[in-house]
Amino acid sequence: MTCEIKEKDRVGTINPIFTCQPAGAQFVSIGVKDCIGLVHGGQGCVMFVRLIFSQHYKESFELASSSLHEDGAVFGACGRVEEGVDVLLARYPDVKVIPIITTCSTEVIGDDVDGVIRKLNDGLLKEKYADREVHLIAIHTPSFVGSMISGYDVAVRDFVKYFATPTEPNGKINLITGWVNPGDVKALKHLLKEMDVDATVLFEIESFDSPLMPDGNAISHGGTTIDDLRSTANAFGTIALNRYEGAKAAEWLQEEYKIPAVIGPTPIGIRNTDSFLQNLKKMTGKPIPPSLVRERAVALDALTDVTHMFLAEKKVAIYGNPDLVIGLAEFCIDLEMKPVLLLLGDDNVRYKNDPRLLAMKENVDWDMEVVTNADFWDLEDRIKNKGLELDLILGHSKGRFVAIDNNIPMVRVGFPTYDRAGMYRYPVVGYEGATWLAEQMANALFTDMEYKKNKEWILNVW
Amino acid sequence: MPYHEFEVSKVIPERKQHAVMKGAGEDLTSCLPLGYLNTIPGSISERGCAYCGAKHVIGTPMKDVIHISHGPVGCTYDTWQTKRYISDNDNFQLKYTFATDVKEKHIVFGAEKLLKQNIVEAFKAFPDTKRMTIYQTCATALIGDDIDAIAQEVMEEMPGTDIFVCNSPGFAGPSQSGGHHKINIAWINQKVGTLEPEITSDYVINYVGEYNIQGDQEVMTDYFKRMGIQVLSTFTGNGSYDDLRGMHRAHLNVLECARSAEYICDELRERYGIPRLDIDGFGFKPLADSLRKIGLFFGIEERAEAIIQEEIARWQPELDWYKERLRGKKVCLWPGGSKLWHWAHAIQEEMGVKVVSVYTKFGHQGDMEKGVSRCGEGALAIDDPNELEGLEALDMLKPDVIFTGKRPGEMAKKVNVPYLNAHAYHNGPYKGFEGWVRFARDIYNAIHSPIHKLSLIDISKDEIDAGKGFQTRRMISDEGLPEEIRKSTELREYTGKYDSVSALREKTYPEFPRAEAGTEAVAE
Repeated sequence: MTCEIKEKDRVGTINPIFTCQPAGAQFVSIGVKDCIGLVHGGQGCVMFVRLIFSQHYKESFELASSSLHEDGAVFGACGRVEEGVDVLLARYPDVKVIPIITTCSTEVIGDDVDGVIRKLNDGLLKEKYADREVHLIAIHTPSFVGSMISGYDVAVRDFVKYFATPTEPNGKINLITGWVNPGDVKALKHLLKEMDVDATVLFEIESFDSPLMPDGNAISHGGTTIDDLRSTANAFGTIALNRYEGAKAAEWLQEEYKIPAVIGPTPIGIRNTDSFLQNLKKMTGKPIPPSLVRERAVALDALTDVTHMFLAEKKVAIYGNPDLVIGLAEFCIDLEMKPVLLLLGDDNVRYKNDPRLLAMKENVDWDMEVVTNADFWDLEDRIKNKGLELDLILGHSKGRFVAIDNNIPMVRVGFPTYDRAGMYRYPVVGYEGATWLAEQMANALFTDMEYKKNKEWILNVW
Repeated sequence: MPYHEFEVSKVIPERKQHAVMKGAGEDLTSCLPLGYLNTIPGSISERGCAYCGAKHVIGTPMKDVIHISHGPVGCTYDTWQTKRYISDNDNFQLKYTFATDVKEKHIVFGAEKLLKQNIVEAFKAFPDTKRMTIYQTCATALIGDDIDAIAQEVMEEMPGTDIFVCNSPGFAGPSQSGGHHKINIAWINQKVGTLEPEITSDYVINYVGEYNIQGDQEVMTDYFKRMGIQVLSTFTGNGSYDDLRGMHRAHLNVLECARSAEYICDELRERYGIPRLDIDGFGFKPLADSLRKIGLFFGIEERAEAIIQEEIARWQPELDWYKERLRGKKVCLWPGGSKLWHWAHAIQEEMGVKVVSVYTKFGHQGDMEKGVSRCGEGALAIDDPNELEGLEALDMLKPDVIFTGKRPGEMAKKVNVPYLNAHAYHNGPYKGFEGWVRFARDIYNAIHSPIHKLSLIDISKDEIDAGKGFQTRRMISDEGLPEEIRKSTELREYTGKYDSVSALREKTYPEFPRAEAGTEAVAE
């Protein structure tokens, strides 16, 4: 009975779990108000990322491309950034922030984006847009480094680094959520409200679940403002919920402005939510109110209904964003389930020293593998050719065929989820998220029992 | 020229020549936008890249192939599972995609060794698949990896395998169209003529520029088989790699999407003397004419005619049911390339709608020529539209429905315009006689959706009919229709199944006697 943490034993990728860095930076960009990211590279780097966002959220978001063509690839394409910034500013009067997000092509040809920004700041912005507040931020996200996860991490840090301005203490904490859904942000804000904690939430994406108004004027935008970002330097603490998505910004604020940072835990499950509230309490001195004691108890009541009768012993494979995967695995263990395979889709060397994974290595009493730099073949090959038996898969839609073709029930969780309706609306964090997750898993198993006629009669009495 | 200047684009004057509004008595000589020029950076264009044009649009519909992209994972991930080009081998090409996963060290030291390891690994993981396509990406084009040399090396070391290489990095051209061109030419240069196909009919075609979206290819192939025609290959939807190596033996190239695949047809004509026949699977009349043309070419008109009669008898009453209920509805026809002209005329004639605008993301001027000439007066034609222009056009034109891509569809939704997916379809296939009825049905369902009507109501201001618990589509669509149409016993709603394609795979076809063993009816 061992838990091994190892790297995928092939060099290539068969069905990738993650996309590349610029997508992460673009996700950060759409969370900021009056901001349109300009991706410096080929048009596909934007067109497909906008598409996947629209597939997941069923909304359209604004992102621009510098539209690198052949001449630019040969002779350099800094001019296209200059033109792109001008066109964006001229046509979008509300835009104040333009992150310039690099890609593999423009990093390889070595376009000096930081230099272009200096040039624009001294030239175009002074000459043509003198009366306007404009911020150009260089974000270096070559696709051949890291993944969408590190792209997100880098971009959050770069936004914070650009704007954070110490003035007066604002009496708030910074809460960096990581790559989450509108439902998560709503649930987190609810916990903050119950705790009576005022927080700058990075990023305010609850608005991504936007309405279809009779006058037809609602387009989805993130709600984090420039002032929110500026005042991150005036908080009395930062909580970054995820170690790999947003922690860089928290650490930077700590180093630069001595703002204490707490990294993690990802508040998935009862125990991690308890820890999150404990951290809030420590940081703010505010007590955990009876309302949350009750909310927690409602969740535990629901979990008790499903855990040892149905979820216990169930073998589960989990893939996706690292903090999400680890948080889900921890929660599954509390639910008496057996995570047997965790797949982390990039080669971040820090995974193998992640204390949460090391704790699993130390303590799990069943065979378990954690594969880094993993792809979907690591899952499928084990099922088809190596005898891995699974009761459940947790992960995003790109892995749907592994579940479908091998008749394994699956609960959709993470980004992107496009093959189930409305999943972005529900949280996986907090007590509410714990309940939702456990019940989704139970219901997926129930449906599967009925389809396969596998003790389906057991539900006659429950 | 009646150029249309968008308010939102006044600050980029070069955009002015990319949109026209067709006025009274105007034709192409006075009314044609510029097309296929470099994109204006920062305009929030909807264009993709030349890599996706090659790999995603044309390469990947090939069904029995390991499709590897040589680059970082993003290109592969982003273009994976975003299309509905199915196949009759359990959708292998939809399910599996491969990336060489180029990292920083490979950018510095080269990624050729990595590529070779990848190829070997992939063949090992899928031992039954011996065919592979490799697509260059921006990163590996810039570092100058010699993909062709590696492919050659592996083919020599692993007998029985065959590899196709497509060098079409994302930056190669103004849009995905550059990639269409590159892969067409690469295929004929590398693969056509490398395998001799088995000829089983006197009438042999390549079906070109057809991508089997939701089963289009299978529907069309059904007609061809019923005519006794051998479809030697399809370029590329539901197409087989080895079949496509034998394209040079066809008697005729039947071309569907002239935007993405005319290049290979023209080369096949040039190099092998195979004539090109442009056809159209959308719309009863265009489709009937197409089948007749093919019949005429081979001298089997009566076979075509029999199919046309049978299909029209079966489906016309259903198409007309919808036509009566779609009359005068305003449509924005905003697809990617060729559908603007494939659909413009046919939907107006056969479904009674009015096309108020056409646009194309990656079409060339030739596509606009066809599109504009098939639209009526007042139609707004836009080349390489961008986000703000699209919104301004919707505000100005107030269409009842829009046919466009998934993401722009979400934008249209927000301004209360229902959308149909023009690339992947809603509930297709849309080709074929039945498919065309399915398209009409989908348009009808979108326009007359009770939920759509509810979304237009402002409960704080508008009168609410509290006695109404529901509304059927008929209650909406039939209001104001003449009695004889509402109660017609001739016309009927669509009666086909949810899945109209899978059954075709089990079908058997009549044997047509060949002219004489060993000879061919059509001279080469």
